[in-house]
Amino acid sequence: MIKLNQLTKVYRTDEIESTALNEVSFEIEKGEFVSIMGPSGCGKSTLLNILGLLDKPESGSYEFLGNEVAHLNEKGRSDIRKKNIGFIFQNFNLIDELTVFENIELPLLYNKVPAPERKQRVNEIIEKIGISHRSSHFPQQLSGGQQQRVAVARALINRPPLILADEPTGNLDSSHGNEVMELLCELHEAGTTIIMVTHSAHDASYSGRIINLLDGQIVSESKNKIAKAIV
Amino acid sequence: MLKNYIKVAFRSLNKNRVYAIINILGLALGLTVTILVFLFINDETSYEKHWDGYERIYRTGIKADMMGQKMNAPVSCSPMANTFRTEFTDVETATRIQTINQEILMRHEQNKVYIQKGVRADSTFFKVFNYEFVHGNAETALKEDNALVLTEESARKLFGDKNAIGEVVNYDNRQDYIVRGIVKEPKGHAHFQFDMFLADPQIRNVWMNNGWYTYVKLKEGANFSAFEAEMKRNFMKKIAPDVERYMKITVEEFLSQGNAFEYQLQPLKDIHLHSQMDFEIKQNGNIIYIYVFIGIALLVILIAGINFMNLSTARSGKRAKEVGVRKVTGASRKMLIAQFLTESVIQSFIALFLAFILVELFLPGFNNIMETNLTLFNDYIGKTVLFALLVTLIYGLFAGSYPAFFLSAFQPIAVLKGDLTKTKGGALLRKVLVVIQFTASTILIIGMIIIFKQISFLHNKDLGFNGEQVIVVPLQTDAMTQNFRNYKDIFLKNSNVLSVTRASYYPGDNPNQNMFALEGNEEQLPLWNMEVDYDFMKTLDIELLEGRKFDREKESDSVPYYILNETAVKNLNIENAVGRRLGRYTGNDGGLEYGNIIGIVKDFHIEGFNQPIRPMILTIENFVWFASFKIAKNDMNATIDYIETEWNKLEPSHPFRYKFLDQKFGALLRQQENFGTMFLFLTILAIIISAMGLYGLASYTAEQRTKEIGIRKVLGSSVPQIMNMLTKDFIRLVLIANIFAWPITYLLAKNWLTNFSYQIDMPLLPYFFATFLALIIALITVSSQAYLAANSDPVDALKYE
Repeated sequence: MIKLNQLTKVYRTDEIESTALNEVSFEIEKGEFVSIMGPSGCGKSTLLNILGLLDKPESGSYEFLGNEVAHLNEKGRSDIRKKNIGFIFQNFNLIDELTVFENIELPLLYNKVPAPERKQRVNEIIEKIGISHRSSHFPQQLSGGQQQRVAVARALINRPPLILADEPTGNLDSSHGNEVMELLCELHEAGTTIIMVTHSAHDASYSGRIINLLDGQIVSESKNKIAKAIV
Repeated sequence: MLKNYIKVAFRSLNKNRVYAIINILGLALGLTVTILVFLFINDETSYEKHWDGYERIYRTGIKADMMGQKMNAPVSCSPMANTFRTEFTDVETATRIQTINQEILMRHEQNKVYIQKGVRADSTFFKVFNYEFVHGNAETALKEDNALVLTEESARKLFGDKNAIGEVVNYDNRQDYIVRGIVKEPKGHAHFQFDMFLADPQIRNVWMNNGWYTYVKLKEGANFSAFEAEMKRNFMKKIAPDVERYMKITVEEFLSQGNAFEYQLQPLKDIHLHSQMDFEIKQNGNIIYIYVFIGIALLVILIAGINFMNLSTARSGKRAKEVGVRKVTGASRKMLIAQFLTESVIQSFIALFLAFILVELFLPGFNNIMETNLTLFNDYIGKTVLFALLVTLIYGLFAGSYPAFFLSAFQPIAVLKGDLTKTKGGALLRKVLVVIQFTASTILIIGMIIIFKQISFLHNKDLGFNGEQVIVVPLQTDAMTQNFRNYKDIFLKNSNVLSVTRASYYPGDNPNQNMFALEGNEEQLPLWNMEVDYDFMKTLDIELLEGRKFDREKESDSVPYYILNETAVKNLNIENAVGRRLGRYTGNDGGLEYGNIIGIVKDFHIEGFNQPIRPMILTIENFVWFASFKIAKNDMNATIDYIETEWNKLEPSHPFRYKFLDQKFGALLRQQENFGTMFLFLTILAIIISAMGLYGLASYTAEQRTKEIGIRKVLGSSVPQIMNMLTKDFIRLVLIANIFAWPITYLLAKNWLTNFSYQIDMPLLPYFFATFLALIIALITVSSQAYLAANSDPVDALKYE
């Protein structure tokens, strides 16, 4: 599904040039659950942003579903993103002015799904994540765990083949964190490819493969033996 | 999708109420001004458009320069209309009118009514101006010598509900007329408004006597310039014999002496806004007011628009996350632009709704100040709404476009990480916009002060006469006029009646002009003449500079005596004027009636201040129709009652009426005063909107710098230091704005002042004052925010980020 070859990303300010990613190459198959780990500043978020087509690499190639996407323009990236990728962030990033229902509905709106179908799909997923009694509430009225579950629901409402999660449990206590991880595992079991950036070895233990980054380079890669499910 | 945009727009407005109020209220006020100006302009430009074929109707006039005396007047001679009708193939018809410059006592049986505005007109009047006839018809209404046409209102006053057609009405105890038509008030405005039309079929065949107004209506498709050239040729031929008869020289000689004389045509539709000549039928509007009001409306809208742009971009940090989320969930930039434009258009339409309410609230005040009669729900409400919608939509799109493009360009990766440094852009643009805004406000402040200085200058100007405590009373009967000198003592018996006199007209009226010549010199002197009775200078407090006043003891009734004003002596180069003999042209034969110049008086004003003082001549005369009384300040009402009682004994046929002379002259200033008052209100409005915008901007700036303020306070910065830091930037912007505002205002004000024959010297003080005022306003709005920010607890501030 994803094939990176010699991907490099350099950040430049007026005087300083820092290499965030240095000739990173790897492949991810459809249906995998991969964790990216490493200390702060190792480039894992940069990597995730490039994978999510939110950022462009300096050089190297990025094949997504068989197409080269490394140097697509804004519109091209936005088109791929909206059809194929769901995002989950550490700080949830829900829109404060929209209700739970409306936040989850957003990707469907942008993909021009007709209203009756939108309603049905959103209600289904709200049911599934267990917050249907809160569907007309605003994000500020929810707990952190609930907010993140809404964010996950939003990420998968459009049934994207790929979910990118950036420290999804980073702002949650452990019980809420586990709820979210369970949710991701269910998704994975249903066949969704998941790439997750995390600090937490506990969270990483849910995934099938762990890529360790240091100073912009892959230092090790390991198959996870206690992975809960591998396709 | 649109539903989602609208929903978010309303929730976001609700969340940021201060910001929403500033935006919406500012724009609502801007739109209110725009709609008011639109209504005003619509009204001012609607003049004459209700007449059939108004575009083919012209008023004739003359333009002359004789002995350096310029004359530009829409007047014409008696035979002109008939000449148009009979000798020009391009003319459909033409009419001649003569306005009656005082109210007229009309009587039907025992019912006496003063009719305000009467006019004598020839039989074709209603063919040029298509009044709607309730009774009678346009063809025949003014055909007979004693025919009379009344407006419905006048007919009601005279006849009540009775059908007036064929009834006899007595004109001023002089002549009986028969009512031959009743017309409706015209639907639109015109440069004249008449209550009564008297048939005037007699043509006085003299081309040099211009006591009439002539209107000519061309045939459809007529070639105007050919017609105009033909008219000039024809009329110059017609006037030539008169010139030779009266002036004893040929037209060629007259012109070769450096004089100029020509006939002109003025489109009817241009009269109201573009005609400021001598002898206008009533005071016209002025295109300059239209321009000024359009300018103000644009400035106010600009100021409100700048608030919108500034506040939306300044608070962009607050919406950055939303932009990021929408982008990662699939929104394209186009969709985001559409969303933000929807928001600004929604705000604009809320403002529009408010604006219509505000217009309804402000209209009575506006009408009161501008002496208009505007309504929002009138015949062209559709046009008004369409215009307002268009302005709103354009505003919404224009003011919304910059924030929309600015916000939609955020990169999700940056804003979602909470890195808002990139969203703080646009600071330079915001500064430029604030400068523009304050430039506009400062222009209005300076302009307002200069307008008020000029108006108060005119108010306090030495008029050359004193109209206080002077009442003017029209005489109505020949007998009263004949014997008035003998009646003066009756009034003077009351010790509070200080002085009694008469004159043919007074300051505030339209003056007359006649031709004179010095003895031994054939040169024509055009002088503005006023016929007065004894004690005229005493009653009006006019200063004698040389020679003596009129004095019954020293004068014979059979010889004319003349007093000149300073300007006459100066402009016409009359040396050693007192004692010289001067002739007045009389009758049809061009004969001169000689008399002595006995004195020179100080100049005094007759007309408004848009006209210079004319060279004037006062002659002593018994047949003059307006009496005036100078009365003492104490017991004024009792004194006036006394005059009324005595007057009614002398002239029982006509009810007594009077006007205060100072009010009469003051009316000439009123248009400018109204304009000044309106300008003041609009300026205040503009300043309020500017201040609101600055307040909003300052509060966001303070908010954005919360962390910086916290750190500075932790490091030992004092409250005044922080306030200084937050205020300094804005103050600098206001100062820069003033640098732009000064020269722009200087040029505009200079231009405006040229409308007056008497201007103030351009004062410098208003410029400094405006700068000072703008600074104070900026300081108060900004420092209140800065004070709050500076006094906040640093711990809260640091935790906040």
